Amino acid sequence: MSRSAVELDFFRMEKESAGKPQQPKKLFDRRRSFRDIQSVISKMNPEILKSVIATGSVENGNLLASKPKDDDPFLSPALPLLSAPAFGNRVSGTTSLTIFYNGTISVFDVSLNKAENILKLAAENVSKTVDSDLPLTRGKSLERFLQKRKER
Amino acid sequence: MEEDRKVSKTTSDGNGMPDLVFQRVIDYIHDARDRDAVSLVCRRWCEIDAGARKHVTIALCYTTTPRMLLRRFPNLESLKLKAKPRAAMFNLIPEDWGGYVTAWVEEIARSFRGLKALHFRRMIVRDSDLELLAQARGLELQSLKLDKCSGFSTDGLLHIGRSCKNLRTLFLEESSIIEKDGKWLHELALNNNVLETLNFYMTDLVQARFQDLELIARNCRSLVSVKISDCELMDLVGFFRAATALQEFGGGSFDEQPETYSSLSFPPKLCCLGLTYMGQNQMPIIFPFASLLKRLDLLYALLDTDDHCLLIQRCPNLEVLEISLSHGLKYKSGILVQQTRNVIGNRGLEVLARCCKRLRRLRIERGADEQGMEDERGLVSHSGLMALALGCLELQYLAVYVSDITNSSLEYFGRYSKNLCDFRLVLLEQREGVSDLPLDDGVRALLQGCNKLRRFALYLRPGGLTDVGLGYIGKYSPNVKWMLLGSLGESDAGILEFSKGCPSLQKLEIRCCCFSEQALAISVLQLRSLRYLWVQGYRASKTPDLLAMARPFWNIELIPERQVVVADPHGAAVSVEDPAHILAYYSLAGPRTDFPDTVVPFEAAAFLNA
Repeated sequence: MSRSAVELDFFRMEKESAGKPQQPKKLFDRRRSFRDIQSVISKMNPEILKSVIATGSVENGNLLASKPKDDDPFLSPALPLLSAPAFGNRVSGTTSLTIFYNGTISVFDVSLNKAENILKLAAENVSKTVDSDLPLTRGKSLERFLQKRKER
Repeated sequence: MEEDRKVSKTTSDGNGMPDLVFQRVIDYIHDARDRDAVSLVCRRWCEIDAGARKHVTIALCYTTTPRMLLRRFPNLESLKLKAKPRAAMFNLIPEDWGGYVTAWVEEIARSFRGLKALHFRRMIVRDSDLELLAQARGLELQSLKLDKCSGFSTDGLLHIGRSCKNLRTLFLEESSIIEKDGKWLHELALNNNVLETLNFYMTDLVQARFQDLELIARNCRSLVSVKISDCELMDLVGFFRAATALQEFGGGSFDEQPETYSSLSFPPKLCCLGLTYMGQNQMPIIFPFASLLKRLDLLYALLDTDDHCLLIQRCPNLEVLEISLSHGLKYKSGILVQQTRNVIGNRGLEVLARCCKRLRRLRIERGADEQGMEDERGLVSHSGLMALALGCLELQYLAVYVSDITNSSLEYFGRYSKNLCDFRLVLLEQREGVSDLPLDDGVRALLQGCNKLRRFALYLRPGGLTDVGLGYIGKYSPNVKWMLLGSLGESDAGILEFSKGCPSLQKLEIRCCCFSEQALAISVLQLRSLRYLWVQGYRASKTPDLLAMARPFWNIELIPERQVVVADPHGAAVSVEDPAHILAYYSLAGPRTDFPDTVVPFEAAAFLNA
């Protein structure tokens, strides 16, 4: 059974269909090129990607609940998921790679090898942006003073 | 024949200069670097220097051992030891990291008979260490500094107070001390009449009695510097009256009605001051002697921009100023009830530049960040800095948090601040765009112009400095010995270019950059004077790429990623992830033997990952 790539806009990030909140839009879009997949991954928030990769694996098919964000497209997106079920299409040698991101779901038919490469690529991109993990800290004595001042 | 034998007894290596002459001469050579150079000339000079050396600073206690110190410098009179990485001052290092003084104190008790002055900085001290020290060296000890130390209680200080009758300096600033009672100060007051400096500033010792302070002031006629923890100032009236030689005071607090303080009078020679919780209403008590002030600490005061300007205008002789970018927020039971703006800002810097021509050291710290309460007038940025560079030509030390910065303001420092030896700039993490990034050209101009620079810290954000800019830092800092690079550069190319320069760099700290383990390792090998490296925030690799910098006498340690509990802006305890650290340093003592769970020697880490 061949499976086509499906993009479902559950959370209505596309503002055109304003009148019908309940109807999900269905877009049939075959995406096979590696570059497309790469561009999707590179737009994701690496923070979230990192936590997904850490907790999930290629076999993991669990769905994590994600809350819809506000309509503001510039806020950080809802938690995306990467899941590539171990039991894919054995006949053709490809498995489906499902990416949940920013209210959209994309499913790609890729070989196991490619899926692993994509996950590795995502991981590499993640470690580049360590900066966001490290906030500026304040000196100990000043920190203590600011605490004490609140208590006065 | 007779004469030949006489000559050979007094000459050193046949060059004709008798040892006796050199032994006299060496007593006049005080600078540590000069003594270091002298000791490398020949074996005989090394021996003479070693025998005559009075003071040694060991920048990291794990680089050597007490025995080695004794073997080389048996006649030491003064020793300074440091341990925890500087990052410990920002809560980034586990408390039990290491730096125990015990082995050192034991050797001091046993062998260093001439030791009079001891300074431990960022180390772990136990009550038993203090007891041993007091017992073995109590009468000889003239100066004891437990500087940002931890692990001891007021019981340990009791031994010091009882036995160290000749103590001129007792310094405990910012140490974490377990408080049992205030007896230690009482013992000190009873047993000592030569005290000159007493400092327990920024400790949380609240049971120290002001009556004991007054007793010390009456008994110790040479008392010149006293900095204490929180203590109502009106209780110190007697103390101030007795301490007639006092030049420096810090601490205290203001809990009474503002009017009460108008009757407070200070000692006549007071010229260094820092009053905790001083607000706008109490500030006028300083006015009568403001023109005498050389050092002013406003880090823990509660003043706003207008107050700062008013006060600074009256201090034309100011040489050292410490101030905070802090917002005047009044809390009652943890709830915000009032907000006054409490910042120095560009206007304050302009006043400073106009009035304080003698300014040598300026530190502008980061205060509270309350959302939505940023005051335009209170933020420090390029216009303030440019005024400062133009106006305060004597400036030697500048440490500042800024909200905005331009290349031209950095160029101003390069052009006018010819006395600058220590420059530290941090760009705050605000949402607003910064006018003029990257700062490559400004940084280059600053480094080229300030040729006395020895210490340099720059903490920006992604895009703040390119790889080319990092290369400039390497190329134009010939004399800089210590650097902190925060969020600089774009790629490995940056650090690799940087490390081709910096010929004098001994100690390097890197935070929040994107360099790979391999690039870091290669950089270490290229920096020819480097003896100490600390990194937090780097691109870890699955293979132990750090091994590229493995070499004899080079210890590599890791503090792997861990969960830490910190206070969020509302004071609630939250668990956050603290990324991994790398610490590497030259040592003659081999790897440490006292690792806590949180610290891992690199060899083991590499083995586990393989």
